[in-house]
Amino acid sequence: MQIKPAHGSKQVQLTTSRRRFMQGSAGAAMLASGLIPATAGAASGLVALVHTQAAGDAGPVDSMISKLKLLADEQGFQYRTIYAQDPATYETIFRTLGDAGASVVVSTFNEVTEPFQAVAPHYPETKWVQLFGDPMDPPISNVVTVSYDYYLGCYLSGIFGAKVSEAGKIGFIGGISIPPLNADFNALKAGVQSVNPDATVTAAFAGSFQDPAKGQEIATQMFSDGIDYIQTDAAATDFGIIAAANEVEGRMVSALDPAQYSHGPTSVISIVGLDFGVSLYSEVSSALGDAWAGGTHVNTGLGTGVIEFIRSPLYADQGPDDINARSDAAWSAVQAARAAILDGSLTVPFNTEL
Amino acid sequence: MDEMIIAILRSSTPLIYVTLAGVLAQRTGIWNLGLEGLMIIGACATVLGIAITGSFLQGFLLAVGLCVAASVLLWFVIERLKANQIIAGLGLTGLGLGGTAFAVEAYMGSQVAVTVSSGAPKAGPVLGAFGVLSIFVLLMPVVVLGLWVLLKCTRFGLQLAACGEHAFAARSVGADPSRIRLIALAAGGVLCAAGGAELATGSLQLFAQNMTAGRGFMAFAAVIFGAGHPVWSTFAALFFAVAGVLGIRVQLTFGDNIPHGLLQTLPYLATILGVWVSGKLRGGAKAATLTEEQSDV
Repeated sequence: MQIKPAHGSKQVQLTTSRRRFMQGSAGAAMLASGLIPATAGAASGLVALVHTQAAGDAGPVDSMISKLKLLADEQGFQYRTIYAQDPATYETIFRTLGDAGASVVVSTFNEVTEPFQAVAPHYPETKWVQLFGDPMDPPISNVVTVSYDYYLGCYLSGIFGAKVSEAGKIGFIGGISIPPLNADFNALKAGVQSVNPDATVTAAFAGSFQDPAKGQEIATQMFSDGIDYIQTDAAATDFGIIAAANEVEGRMVSALDPAQYSHGPTSVISIVGLDFGVSLYSEVSSALGDAWAGGTHVNTGLGTGVIEFIRSPLYADQGPDDINARSDAAWSAVQAARAAILDGSLTVPFNTEL
Repeated sequence: MDEMIIAILRSSTPLIYVTLAGVLAQRTGIWNLGLEGLMIIGACATVLGIAITGSFLQGFLLAVGLCVAASVLLWFVIERLKANQIIAGLGLTGLGLGGTAFAVEAYMGSQVAVTVSSGAPKAGPVLGAFGVLSIFVLLMPVVVLGLWVLLKCTRFGLQLAACGEHAFAARSVGADPSRIRLIALAAGGVLCAAGGAELATGSLQLFAQNMTAGRGFMAFAAVIFGAGHPVWSTFAALFFAVAGVLGIRVQLTFGDNIPHGLLQTLPYLATILGVWVSGKLRGGAKAATLTEEQSDV
């Protein structure tokens, strides 16, 4: 594209005016966004959730927002939920919240580790909580990290899937191939092969947690390959996977959140539930209390109320009788494995390599 | 085989409609980087319209209205305010992505995914296995052909191309480049509404934030790949869709032996390769230059 050079004063004035207009617009947008409250300095008690995946996933983000609203209503604090779509903006957002005097800042996933490390030490009065993160090395005195043994739920899903699948073909669709999701797939595969060594387990990644159309394309190809049980791990992309399963009776999906049951009453047979909302509620409650211990790491797994493998009650009511019968028969094996994991007699490897 | 063809048609149709919108804009000398924003407005408005009225037709008309309005806004910013068209287009994309999230929150009370019980009308059992395809898929070849005829064989099409190639010459024969760009962008708005509606209601019947996932930018690449020609750009969009579907097939077939990250890059590598080959063979789309004459319009 050719750009016309600014020859005359009129052109220069126009350029200057446009720049001022843009600067003014940017300032107005910041104010309108409410990111910086007018009474920033007096905003003690502000709790902010910075989520790095979009809301509307009928899963982790929606659950966190819902529980934060609930806790805010119960305890009467001010809260903000901010969607940070661009990793380049994480640090700026965290600094802005620190400057605004936020009491607690909660964010999600490993991608915020470095921004937390860069920002948290400069705002010692703010308590920082990273959900789904590895322990900080070295620990930071005002940061708590929380990790989840989600892969254990996937292991149980593998056992269940292997027993309810007629074809002996299991699928796994993740959002992006990152270490925790790779571990989920490997655990699913281990669970499948623990009860049916001849079964096949196939993985695919959509490349996005927010692309239902891609999820539908992948799931359709998997189902046409004869796979009849898919474990999802892809947030809003799951909607497309469930839509593909709904097209033909007998296709089964194990999803992530109870909110997904209603999207596939006869296809969503179970979930590996990870209740981020419960976890956020617990961590923020703790951070607002006097006994909060920063610089620590919290690990949650089965038996904590945060992670569970759960059968869909809707599917039990409306699903095909033959599959429900197989589900009933499989459940005892799932429960036995769960008990063995909890008492330490069964160890599921955490393998992040594909 | 049928399922593979259905997958390719489902995947390519939204992309093709939006690509055609990009072709119309490019022909008039505008690189429309707002395609992503227009597409998501179309998707969101269709689903919200269905949720509000219960009618697909009314939902789609709402999408058309909003996409045309957004396109007119783009025209106003570029033509009247003399803004840089690249920045204005990116601004429209930001407006679309942010505005749809805001609209969903305003209507639903939270940023949930919106699902509806009905979607775009389907072809029906008369087409056998292909009966699951929506009317947008069936109409797509007609629209492509119609646009080709419009651009190739009609006075308006020639005026439209003239605006992009030499606005002064177009004006000298009585054409008004600004008005023609307005018409082209507005028509592109209708096409983007169709693309968004197909994406959200062709087979899914839902709207989730950012669900276009860069398809508007892929469409923009298809315009370049196809040198701004409606048929070649359609084939470019089809090529991207085929690459995406085959990319999934490769993942499922070779995923145990080749890193998934590498396999997922294949469609994008194919895109880059395609654009490069296109540039070599055809000279790519002629650069849409805002000549001095156009700038003064």
